[in-house]
Amino acid sequence: MATETAVDVVMPQMGVSVSEGTITRWLKREGEQVEADEPLLEISTDKVDTEVPSPASGTLVQILVQEGETVDVGTKLGQIGGAAGAPAPAAPEPEPEPASVAPSEPEPAPAPAAQAPAPAADVSGGNGKFVSPVVARIAAEHNIDPNAVPGTGRGGRVTKQDILAFVEQGPPPVAPPAAPAPPATVPSAPSSEAPAPRPAPANAPSAPQPQPGEQVEPVSAMRRGIAEHMRRSLDTAAHVTSAIEVDFSKIVAARAALKKEFQSAYGVNPTYLAFVARAAVETLKDYPYVNAEMRGDSIVTRNYVNLGIAVELADGKGLIVPVIRNAEGLNLLGIARGIADLAARARDKKLLPDDVQGGTFTITNPGGYGTFHGTPVINQPQSAILGTYALVKRPWVITDESGNDAIAIKPIMNVTLTYDHRLVDGAYAGRFLRDLRERLESWDGTE
Amino acid sequence: MAVAREAEPVGSLHEVREAGLDREDLLGVYRNLVITRGVEERGHILYRQGKIPGSFYTGRGNEAAAVGVATAMKQEDVGTPLHRDMGVHITRGVEPWRIFAQYMGRADGPTKGRDGNVHMADAQLGLIAMVSHLPAMLPVAVGAALAFRIREEARVALAWFGEGASARGDTHEGMTFAGTRELPVVFVCDNNQWAYSTPTHLEYATEHVADRAQAYGFEGVVVDGTDVLAVYREARRAIEKARAGGGPTLLECLTLRMEGHAVHDDAFYVPKVMFEKWAESDPLERFRTWLRANVDMTDEEEDEISTGVKKLLNDALKRAEDSPMPDASDLTAGVYATGEDLDTPHHK
Amino acid sequence: MAELTYLQAISDGLRTEMRRDKRVFLIGEDVGVYGGAFKVSLGFQEEFGPWRVIDAPLAETAIIGACTGASMMGLRPVAEMQFADFISCAWDQLVTVAAKQRWRAGTPVPIVVRLPSGGGFSGGPFHSQNPESSFAHIPGLKCVCPATPEDAKGLLISAIEDPNPVLFFEHKHLYRRIKGEVPEERYTVPIGKARTHRIGKDISVITWGAMVFTAEEAAQQLENDGVSVEVLDLRSVMPWDKAAVLDSVRKTSKALVLHEDTRTGGFGAEIAATIAEEAFEDLDAPVKRIAAPDTPVPFSPPLEKAFIPQVDDVVAGLRDLAGY
Repeated sequence: MATETAVDVVMPQMGVSVSEGTITRWLKREGEQVEADEPLLEISTDKVDTEVPSPASGTLVQILVQEGETVDVGTKLGQIGGAAGAPAPAAPEPEPEPASVAPSEPEPAPAPAAQAPAPAADVSGGNGKFVSPVVARIAAEHNIDPNAVPGTGRGGRVTKQDILAFVEQGPPPVAPPAAPAPPATVPSAPSSEAPAPRPAPANAPSAPQPQPGEQVEPVSAMRRGIAEHMRRSLDTAAHVTSAIEVDFSKIVAARAALKKEFQSAYGVNPTYLAFVARAAVETLKDYPYVNAEMRGDSIVTRNYVNLGIAVELADGKGLIVPVIRNAEGLNLLGIARGIADLAARARDKKLLPDDVQGGTFTITNPGGYGTFHGTPVINQPQSAILGTYALVKRPWVITDESGNDAIAIKPIMNVTLTYDHRLVDGAYAGRFLRDLRERLESWDGTE
Repeated sequence: MAVAREAEPVGSLHEVREAGLDREDLLGVYRNLVITRGVEERGHILYRQGKIPGSFYTGRGNEAAAVGVATAMKQEDVGTPLHRDMGVHITRGVEPWRIFAQYMGRADGPTKGRDGNVHMADAQLGLIAMVSHLPAMLPVAVGAALAFRIREEARVALAWFGEGASARGDTHEGMTFAGTRELPVVFVCDNNQWAYSTPTHLEYATEHVADRAQAYGFEGVVVDGTDVLAVYREARRAIEKARAGGGPTLLECLTLRMEGHAVHDDAFYVPKVMFEKWAESDPLERFRTWLRANVDMTDEEEDEISTGVKKLLNDALKRAEDSPMPDASDLTAGVYATGEDLDTPHHK
Repeated sequence: MAELTYLQAISDGLRTEMRRDKRVFLIGEDVGVYGGAFKVSLGFQEEFGPWRVIDAPLAETAIIGACTGASMMGLRPVAEMQFADFISCAWDQLVTVAAKQRWRAGTPVPIVVRLPSGGGFSGGPFHSQNPESSFAHIPGLKCVCPATPEDAKGLLISAIEDPNPVLFFEHKHLYRRIKGEVPEERYTVPIGKARTHRIGKDISVITWGAMVFTAEEAAQQLENDGVSVEVLDLRSVMPWDKAAVLDSVRKTSKALVLHEDTRTGGFGAEIAATIAEEAFEDLDAPVKRIAAPDTPVPFSPPLEKAFIPQVDDVVAGLRDLAGY
């Protein structure tokens, strides 16, 4: 089953600014066949989760970097084909009978133990260690805290043998790691101890003990990135939020008129977000500082809009802001299509590094859950972020031609602009919002 | 162009005597016909009363074909009757109360509620239970004949199928094997002209199903399936020929299915004139007339048969309704046979 | 005791029963004059005559149907499918008629269907399959899969004695490659009893058929790592020896289920599920399955090698469990 030439799997360069990546999941296990271009593993950088396609077809003979580990770009993560750990010896024998080839001396690094979905990192019981059913049962029977047992399994897991030895011999003296593991049952030199770095969660001494009822999970690379970014933004910009209420009657009508055509002809849903995005991009042309950046001592404005759209990943696993480039050149269909495409690729982890870079203005749309107002955090180094919220029917005062006031039921959306007051003044922001409202309320249906 | 021999109708009492039936036998045949129809008519009523779950099928129009063939069998012969062949079960001696119990899914039905309808057989009477995959029983009957041949026994297996079932591969394989080995089996085709809603010309391209027999190396015979005596005579010839080592025969009994495929089917697709024409040769009425004309069946005899059968069926129904529903705790028993299960008349 | 090949042991078992019991006969394509495609019945027709060693037409439905009918009339038919793959042509007779007859109509169907199965010799998609799980799923059928010559003879005799339809999967790759001591006298091996092929204490491999030997080779390699692997040969998958499997898993706490049939819905899934249900608190690692991928059996040697689980695959799986 082995492929002749060894091909390295390396941590790819996921965008110019990215220097390291984290392995979130190996999709193949050691010993498994993989086809060239078949997804081999998933990685996460501070902005992108993506699949890494296999560089070659063959057996994944070795995994050097385990799930959860973060390594520099270019680090060898594993090997397809060849002999594990060593350069392929260009075996001269054409047809080795595989069964009889097994050498009698212990191989230093044989096609090693498949790493499997590393359980220690995924399923935490107590101290971040996975406790197997049999270990749990033995622990309960002997009233032992499994976390007190030195583990010799993968990732420090307590194996059945470990706990049985513990039961038999009692707690080890003082020195923890050289555990009295029965040597016969532990594979000698299990090559799971690969040369790559390990997170070794069990060793982290400063981690506070979880209290009963608490669940502990490691911080993902994405979550760490979000945390740093949010904090940095609030530390950098002077956040101010202004809000305006917009009558969506014409948008609702325009959307109803376009929806069928868009869907049947283009397979695209003209969402309210697309209308707002289109109007915002148009309005930005008149308000360059809302589409700007403070860069050192300079203020940078643009004649283009790279529109970021905030997309929530499934299960609250994070937020990503892919970018529609040159949105100023797109009509409603183009923007709607761009939003749909980015959202789909974000969810499928198919975004490319460039998809999330170079944004000049961002729209976030938390209104899907009915919230009518919010104060988003600016996506640095941009100068503003537009928030759109739930479209709700409200009693609305209207004035007819003869000047009589009446109350009508109107679809109303609250729209916010959160801006960096260092660069954008309140009145400037207010005019931007006013013009944006005007565009939306007078939507002429041609777009 | 027809290849099969077309059987002559039976005319005189002399011919019947020659074929092996005396007056008492003839009245017995008539009684079996009346019971057969009676069981199915009662079943039909029970079904409409909601007392029979599932579907309900009858063999109305096919009574003479079934009873005629079964009358020609010897006790040691075996057969695989299908759902239009209630007359075979009756003629072999299955008690009607057990049939009603079977219909109603009761514990005393031959399958104890595990299967329904005519999916039953009393092994003591030389019958093998059918499956819904109709021609599947043909190779099984061929296997019984093979056993007789291996042991050199003077026994014959009867294999029933319909003209619809004739289209399937089991029919071909069974007949091929029986033909090559000249096995003692008689294939009986109940050609009632409608396989559910499909007419004969969409089931086979020959004039008769029996025309195929020549291709398998044995004789094919077509007989009027509403003429119980003609069916009996041809079945007897075929069975005795097989018993004597003369190999298989394909006997096609031509009838019309006088009702729908099942109770839920009103058979709208059957031309009305067809029903009218075949109603004129109703097998029971036809034989009753013959008996009155040829063996002087008296009013008293006829009345005795009809009231006797009525009482038989009334009692049977009562007994069947007294039979308990099966106990579900028993459901998983008997999926696999034990050694004791082999102590049957068949497996000896 | 004589040393016989797996194939000779099957012949020996069949001959033993045909000599002992006149009710037993053999039917199949080319089993008579030719002695069977694999020569299992070579010389049988001379000894037993053409009505006990019956050359059937190329008609699997007729063969199995005829066995069913003949068994009901008191005989003990043994059918040979030329290749196990061709049993699909007789599915209806086995599954619709034979399997259900005892349960619904009270009529046992004591037949044996011999099924030369398995790959490893470029037989391609239609001469290499291991369809045991399809039939193990049918209530009323029994499925026997011997691995050794001794078991092949003893289980064949048990199958012929059994009052049910028994599918006897004889692995073609073992026919002439595997030799062993086989008692000359008549003996039976009980259907539904596993055999411990190799005793171990760290990991249990549960398997059957040709994979027993693959597992054995892998277990030897693990011994060099200091890991003690137990190999349990199920010998029949319906009924299967649940107690033996659970006992072994309770001892080792780690289980690898191995079969040559394809993975999804393979019988290994049933075993793995049962271990999870009934031995959960004894497990120290997830139950692992190694099986063929979900494709037809390929023809070309490298493809077939990738299809059939190899020793290296099992070694990798065992190491994974050992290091868990």
